[in-house]
Amino acid sequence: MTAPPQNPKPHFPLSHPGRRQFLRVSAASFAAAGLWPSTVAAQDMPPLKDYPRAWLTENEWVFVLAAVARLIPSDGEGPGAIEARVPVFIDRELAGDFGAATDWYMEGPHQPDAPPELGWQSPLSPADIYRAAIPLFDEWCVSRHGTAFADLDAAMQDEALTALEGGDVPLPPELRDFFDILLTNTKEGYFSDPIHGGNHGMAAWVHIGFPGARAHYREWVGRHNIPYPLGPVSISGERA
Amino acid sequence: MKTVLRLFTALALVAVLFIAGLIWIPVSRTPASEALPADWAPEPGAGEYAMRAGDCMACHTAEGGADFAGGRAIHSPLGTIYTANITPDPETGIGGWTLDQFRAALVDGLSADGSHLYPAMPYENYRLLTEGDIRALHTYFMEEVQPVRIDVPEPDLPFPFNQRWGIRALNWLILTHDSGFNGIMGDKVLDRGQYLVEGPGHCAACHSPRTAYMGQDGITADQPAFLTGGYIDGQQAPALRGPGSVIRDWPTPELTAFLATGRNFAATANGEMGLVVEHSLQYLTDADIIAMARFLKALDGQPHDPPEMTVPRGPLARPAAQADARGEATARMLTESSPDMPLGARVFMDNCAQCHFVTGRGSPEIFPALQDNSLVLSDEITPLVSIILWGATVEGTAQRPMPLVMQGYEARLSDDDIAALTSFLREAWGNDAAPVSPEAVRDIRDDGPPEARQDDGALMD
Repeated sequence: MTAPPQNPKPHFPLSHPGRRQFLRVSAASFAAAGLWPSTVAAQDMPPLKDYPRAWLTENEWVFVLAAVARLIPSDGEGPGAIEARVPVFIDRELAGDFGAATDWYMEGPHQPDAPPELGWQSPLSPADIYRAAIPLFDEWCVSRHGTAFADLDAAMQDEALTALEGGDVPLPPELRDFFDILLTNTKEGYFSDPIHGGNHGMAAWVHIGFPGARAHYREWVGRHNIPYPLGPVSISGERA
Repeated sequence: MKTVLRLFTALALVAVLFIAGLIWIPVSRTPASEALPADWAPEPGAGEYAMRAGDCMACHTAEGGADFAGGRAIHSPLGTIYTANITPDPETGIGGWTLDQFRAALVDGLSADGSHLYPAMPYENYRLLTEGDIRALHTYFMEEVQPVRIDVPEPDLPFPFNQRWGIRALNWLILTHDSGFNGIMGDKVLDRGQYLVEGPGHCAACHSPRTAYMGQDGITADQPAFLTGGYIDGQQAPALRGPGSVIRDWPTPELTAFLATGRNFAATANGEMGLVVEHSLQYLTDADIIAMARFLKALDGQPHDPPEMTVPRGPLARPAAQADARGEATARMLTESSPDMPLGARVFMDNCAQCHFVTGRGSPEIFPALQDNSLVLSDEITPLVSIILWGATVEGTAQRPMPLVMQGYEARLSDDDIAALTSFLREAWGNDAAPVSPEAVRDIRDDGPPEARQDDGALMD
């Protein structure tokens, strides 16, 4: 197991890492394994709680698990973000070029409070924004509800995320895009090819009827209003 | 007991004398097949052209090595040998070889010192070269090729195949035909085609079967087994005449296109044939390619009207073929895209159909047809599985410059996937060949890609 990097500046000691969330996640993982069978042996994948993280710390991991479970919940139509292993995607994405903003222009001057249409103005990389924003958001949850985000019940988590989205959680301007990138990364992890860690078993593709990386529909161009019946294939050749 | 011993001794003595004779009695060189005037000299460029027609470069040049400096590994069932340096370097090449010595290499398989060349050198076929071409080649290699000083590795053959005198006995069996060319087609153009196919082109070296002692079974056009199909380095060289002829259904212009560019309406030239197109055939004149194609069609008893040129010039748009009657059921099944389709069909849809199409007929000059594809149907499954695992490239030629590249699926497909896929390909669209097992695929995968097995060993001085 890769040791996650330590949070360099813990803003405050977190309350106990959400144990209930882990239990929920594990149960959902088992459910998913039965619901969306694929050529990927679900049992070969470590449960999310044992996943060897590349970037996120324990506390960050607990938060991401809880947050994505509300953004794409497991009790809606189709698989949730947890069954699709979206947190794995986010961890790998943050550990990679996106997280470090490797190929972005990140030299100054930065003006974090510039209007959003002026693009990325934060001096922080996306991974650093996760690192800095999660403790502040948890701190806000503690001050408002007496417990960190992961330990809130679903309704209060939704309320907290809504506040975060609406800018009602006081975050410094360089962190103001936190909710946006969290939501975007969650969707990416849900719908991207499983080779990147999310969309486990291509469950999201099966759900929306997207046939994946087949790139061959020549005979179907003229067949209107007939459902395309064949399940998806992934870049690595998985079939569902 | 004594009698037996005496008999044994006598036999051993005869054998020793026989072998001694094989080793020490000097061989004689075959004289020129025709007398040319004393002041005869080749036309400018004739030697280089004969070299192209004879495809000397493909074998006598190592991957990344200097032209004609040898060192390319030739794999035979008996072991590996390395092609000779045929640049005019006097120490490591053929510098200073007289015309008689040079001719003997081509028609008798003899080196300048009288030792025997390994029969990977197609002297059975070059024996049919005209004296004019031999002299043109001699002039070319002595005067136009740059000398390169380079030693090639010794052959890697087990005893007794590393004893070159053994080849002398072999030559008694395989070199029974006269030297020089004998046209039998009764037509000037067809005779030219016959000459290029039989002699310099040495097509029979791969496309004729082999006899029990590994000679070519069918060296000249009058022999019944000539070009009825053979094997080369784990690859099947399909029959070019008779019932299994792969070119039977090719109109003459498609055959000329294949020879000149390595691609036509249904096929692409892979493996050894790809090298032949790349190094030899693309350099031949339209007239010669057309003559070869017409000869091959005539030999197979088919119409052979001459096309105006080998391939149409300029931009070309040819629609992909529709499924024919034999392929219709498979095409329909694939088009329906039912999740219940067999695994092999599913793997085809997920990985292959984009280029080879549900019709199995590919696209002219770009994606080869898989229906009736000799490589798909061959009892040698290694080339097919190898191409699926590691891909293939058809090199560009002057007239069709775009290389055609198929990617490999080594990482994407398991042994079970590939076994199911190849088994499907071999029975789809009316194809009829035996299935392939996952174990066979695993063995081919374990052997590694063909390049890894190529160990060119030339060392520069």
